[in-house]
Amino acid sequence: MVWSDPEIAKLSREFVTVADEVYKLYPEDEWNLKRVQDTPAHKFFKRYGEAMPDGDWNRGGTKQGLYMIGPDGEYLEGRFAANGFPEDIKKRMKRALKRWQGLRQRKKYDNLPVPTVVTTLPPGVDGKPFVLRVHSRDLPRGEGDQCGRRFDPEVDLKSGWSDFKQWAWNENWLAVDKWQVLVPKGKQREVVDSAFVTKLAREMLIDNVRGQAGVWPKTAVKSAKLTMLGVRRAGGTKVTYRGEVELDDGARSIKLQLLGDAVYDNDHGRFRELRIVALGMRKGAHRFNQRDGDEGPAPIGFAVNLYRAPK
Amino acid sequence: MLMLSLAVLLHVSPQNPPEPTVANLSEWLTLIEPAASEQAYREIGWRNALWPAVQEARKLGRPILFWTMNGHPLGCT
Repeated sequence: MVWSDPEIAKLSREFVTVADEVYKLYPEDEWNLKRVQDTPAHKFFKRYGEAMPDGDWNRGGTKQGLYMIGPDGEYLEGRFAANGFPEDIKKRMKRALKRWQGLRQRKKYDNLPVPTVVTTLPPGVDGKPFVLRVHSRDLPRGEGDQCGRRFDPEVDLKSGWSDFKQWAWNENWLAVDKWQVLVPKGKQREVVDSAFVTKLAREMLIDNVRGQAGVWPKTAVKSAKLTMLGVRRAGGTKVTYRGEVELDDGARSIKLQLLGDAVYDNDHGRFRELRIVALGMRKGAHRFNQRDGDEGPAPIGFAVNLYRAPK
Repeated sequence: MLMLSLAVLLHVSPQNPPEPTVANLSEWLTLIEPAASEQAYREIGWRNALWPAVQEARKLGRPILFWTMNGHPLGCT
């Protein structure tokens, strides 16, 4: 919700904007910390963090947050766990830019214009030939229920981030190898390779609507089936997909029906489009997905689309 | 509630879970996918790794805005 605030978006253009995974940069556990402690990115972030005021840098805990940093790691502003409070972030960004004015003059930084960039995909997915974009969302549970409603900046920027459970959704990216198994070989309905479908189910159909949840363990797969039917036409093969997935790891479970379609370009050997919807019920909770008190059963939906990078 | 038939949504229960059909596939996708207002974070122009961004900031002589989370902020992978 923070990034929907037009003033924050405008202020951000004064910075080189970057998003990265904190666990790979500054893990909380000692074993993983040792693994990264000599990397230049860790040392840069650590030096900056240790110059922050107490309370803004979470010395013993998570470093998730929003930070404003000079090019040589100088402290400008920032706070751990700050992402949910637009007004606080605005104040901090303004203070950071005020401090920046003094710093750049003192250190004679060039202060060249920041080029406009298109938001990239996460590392590991960026640049891969076949990438699926997966969205998950709670679905309404009956008359008057607000689950799954759209985020409305006019209302929700004023009401506070704790209401996010009503409009939460999430996004997942998946680089897929062996995607060719999604291309029908004959004219009859065919079963898609079971190992491939199982992998997709474990990695895609995760209830992370409100917060992160891990990939399903192999032992959680009770059923993962997908069939496909191709009809060759001028301009490509029209494919329809149908399937069902049931996953249960003891703490959480999900049971979904899948339906989708695609257009495969036979001349160029690639999909022009592919989309699958998965609908059903989820139950239980994962350690970090904020389902405590809302274990269901409750309806959930996934939308899966083949990603095409903007040209 | 977009174009989706309310009758479909209002009768959802554990005994009657939502079902996709050829007729409602597009509507379900539209309902689940984020609207433009929900994807405002992508308008910021985020780079996806800290260290290359530090190099860029040094070259330009500009400050860095760094957003970091457990799970990559640009989408869990």
